[in-house]
Parts: sequence; structure tokens; C-alpha cells
Amino acid sequence: MVETSRTPTSLVLEPGSFRDWDGRVFLGRDRVYRALSAVGLADWDALAASDLFEQFTASGELVATDRAGDDVLDEIKRLDPAGGWVGALSHERLPFVSYPYEWSFSMLQDAALLQLRLVSTALNEGLMLKDATPYNVQWRGAQPVFVDVGSFERAREGEPWVGYRQFCMLFLYPLLLEAYRGVAFQPWLRGSLDGISPTDFRALFTRRDAFRPGMLRHVFLHAGLERRHADRGSDVRGELEKAGFDRKLVSATVENVAALVRRLRPRPGASTWSEYDQTCSYLDAETAAKEDFVRRVVGQRRRRLIWDLGCNEGRFSRIAAEGSNLVVAVDSDRAVVDRLYTSLRDEASTSILPLVVDLANPSPAVGWDNAERSTLADRGLPELSLCLALVHHLSISRNVPLREVVRWLRELECEVVVELPDRADPMVQRLLLGKRDDAHPDYSRETFEQELRARFEVVESVELASGTRTLYHAVPR
Amino acid sequence: MLSYIDPGAGSLILQALAGGVAGVMVMGKLYWSRVKRVLRLGRDEPDADEPRP
Repeated sequence: MVETSRTPTSLVLEPGSFRDWDGRVFLGRDRVYRALSAVGLADWDALAASDLFEQFTASGELVATDRAGDDVLDEIKRLDPAGGWVGALSHERLPFVSYPYEWSFSMLQDAALLQLRLVSTALNEGLMLKDATPYNVQWRGAQPVFVDVGSFERAREGEPWVGYRQFCMLFLYPLLLEAYRGVAFQPWLRGSLDGISPTDFRALFTRRDAFRPGMLRHVFLHAGLERRHADRGSDVRGELEKAGFDRKLVSATVENVAALVRRLRPRPGASTWSEYDQTCSYLDAETAAKEDFVRRVVGQRRRRLIWDLGCNEGRFSRIAAEGSNLVVAVDSDRAVVDRLYTSLRDEASTSILPLVVDLANPSPAVGWDNAERSTLADRGLPELSLCLALVHHLSISRNVPLREVVRWLRELECEVVVELPDRADPMVQRLLLGKRDDAHPDYSRETFEQELRARFEVVESVELASGTRTLYHAVPR
Repeated sequence: MLSYIDPGAGSLILQALAGGVAGVMVMGKLYWSRVKRVLRLGRDEPDADEPRP
């Protein structure tokens, strides 16, 4: 299943993996390695022997993992001599890392349900998960994959679910925020890596909200108990054990939370582009011409990674997926991304990863030392970017000068397929409504082509039937 | 502390609520043991200001 003994070439410490002292992650070129303490190694042995490990690895929901060879451990010890590492694991490397603040509602919901299924399965096998954070989940296209094997530990009898609070802060409250309030969770999670505290979340609601499913217990009582017990130490655990707390109570909590999470539905506010496909200005013939153009470029050679920037319903992402290992499909409209995700999930697609990203304000580097979570570009540049129906939104709706847009495209260091609607285009006219007549003087086909040709070699360009839109396939100079 | 994240004392206690009758018994025992401890502490270490009985 997994190679264990190939010599790792130049491991790099993963800067975001420092929180748990029983393990540390190092990145290799094709594999991810995990250094383990003596405790971590004993926990791994218990996991590796379990049915859970076999079952979830077989379904692809747990990252493929094996013991790494001694050469890996030696290299890790050389890099981090003070770490006290006594063992190392080797994991499959998933093609693109993403974060919960880039996921749509249903993605966070499915990641939550995976986390809960792992907890309840673990409980039956004498195991437990020491945390409950969505950062432990990554994606194989539209399939969630639990990647933090170091999260499993041997269960201690009489111990409650230690990760419950974290689960609320990073999974449950963000989901409730959108389901009950119609407010996007992504900006909050992006600003607060630890999630939404019970006290803060409680403050968003009135007493009447206590009647909504899950609110009384997981929000109101939770915030109340947190306030009451703020000054208590961790002796609560011992007290609970003495009072007869057992595994069945943990199972009951997990089942209760799972039932709640399953029934939640996204309720985004009015979404500008949700109905785009119905209302957009394309003629059918034009769409077909665009598809042909993209298919031609995609078919030239197989690519490792393609980005579809402004993917909307994913029409072109699907074409791109025919010629690449993975398509990262981004759009700033979370409702659109959620629809794309659910349809990909229902098709069991593993070749398109949909993400909620506003390209005028893309994911920054955040966390400790600005290195815990990295920018979108730092997680792997594509070999080809599709920018269809994107430039006018950046340039006119977001006021990014055309010159800046092209410079940014060039910095992606990849081939591009880019569409430019000129000023006469009905969609451009719509975006210009309400702006001064002389607004965006730089926005013209001439300026765009001049900037594009300065930085790229234009391999092919096609004017679409309407006469207001042009497609370019360009390669960096 | 046994875990690397803060489990939250209130968040742990809340979990006893999930278990129906069993949970209520755990909550009862938990708070009763606290009451007993408070009473015992009161007897063992009276405030300096108070006269000893």
C-alpha cells in the first residue's frame, strides 16, 4: 500500500503542527512525515491495531499511513535534535491544503460528521480523539479526509469528551451561525483560528432562540457553565470520574451533537451569483465556444494542478478536470460553492476541490509567527489558471486597475486562459451602472491586450460571437 | 493537564446532561461531592476572623 523505506529528500518542518507535544509534522516531496514521542508511538500502535484504522483507511476517510523507515527518523532527529522523537510515520500527501474558512457550509458540515463518526467509532475500540478541530480534515476533491493520525490516543475510562468545547467553537457554532442567522462563518473563522467561544456565541442570540434545536444545551447552558466554572482547574475531570462518568455519557453527547449537525441546512442571504447561470448574459452558442476553447487548452497536455478562478457553478472546472490531477475551483459566493460541492460530493468526485475565496482579498498567512496557516499561493501554484468572467468583476466591481490584475496573473507563474468583456458588454454595462461616466478609464480591450502582451505570450485569442468578449490563452514570458 | 487543548471545566460538566437518568445521577453526585467538600473545608480551615467553636 505504502512505501516505507525510500530515503526522504530534504524534509521541511510544517510550521503549523506545534500545538500537540506528542507529535510534529515534517513535509517531504511526495509524503508527509510525523515524528512521535514515546506516548505518541504507543497511541499509534493502539490505533494501527484497531478495526477503525482499517475501516476508515479503506474508505479513504483516514489518510493512508504507515511506519516510516529509520532513515526518516534519523533525518528528523538531525533536523530537530531536541524533540525527543522515538518514532515516525509516513502519510500520503494530499494534493492541496485548504482551511475551514475556505469551505462552504456543507463542507464544514461533512467534516464535522466525519469527526463525530471517528469519535463514536473510537469509543467502541478503547480509543479517543484528543481534539476536535476542522484543521485536522483535508479534502480529496469533494471527499473529506481526516489527516491528523496523531489525534488518536488510548481512551482513559471515566474521562469526558475533551474535544467537545473545541468542536463547538470550530464546527458547531459556525454551522449554527449560518443555519440560524444566515451569517457567513468564514470571515469569523479566518479572523479567529480557535473559533467562536461559547460566551461570544451566546451573546448573538436572545432568550427566544433557546427554543431552536440544540441552542439551549450547546449554547445557553454551555456559556452559563463556562462563566460559572471559569476559575476552576482541571480537577473537574477527576470529580466527574469519581461521580461515575463513563463512556456511555460521551457516546450520548456525540450522538446528540451528530443528530443536530445532520439536520442543519445552509441559509445564506441573497446571493448575487447564485442564479447566475439562469440570469447571465451568455448566449448558448457563446458558452459552447468557451467550452471548446477551454477543452482545447486543457487537452494539450495533462497538468498536475489547475485553478478555476471565479468558478461559479463549475462548468469549466469540470472540463479542466478532464486534463488534470486536481482542479481547485474558487469563488467568493459561498452559496455557489456550496452547490458545486454538494453536486460533486453526490457524484463522488475526487478531482475538483471547491473553495470559498474572494480573490480581491484572498486567504492571508495567519496564526503564530504568521506561519500556522499559509496564503493560497504558498500552498501550491497551478500550471494553468482559468479566469473566465473574472477580470471585469475584479476591475470594475472591486476597482483593481487592469494593469494590477495582469501583474497578479503573471505572478501565478502559470499559463492562463482569460476572458475579457469590453465596455460594450451587457454585464460590464451593468457593473458600470451607478458609476461616473468616466469611471475606469483604463478598462478597455486595448489596455488589457497591451498589459497582457507585455508579460505573456498570447498563444491564441478568439473573439466570441457577441463581439464584446475575447478569450486569450497566454503563456508567461 | 492531560490534554493539549483546554477542555473547559464547564464544557466537561455539561456532558453529563446528555445521558438522561445516568447523567442526572452523575451531576447529582458531582455537586453533592462539592457541597460535602465545601462543608468539610469550612470545618477544617475556619476563617481567622471567626472565633473557634
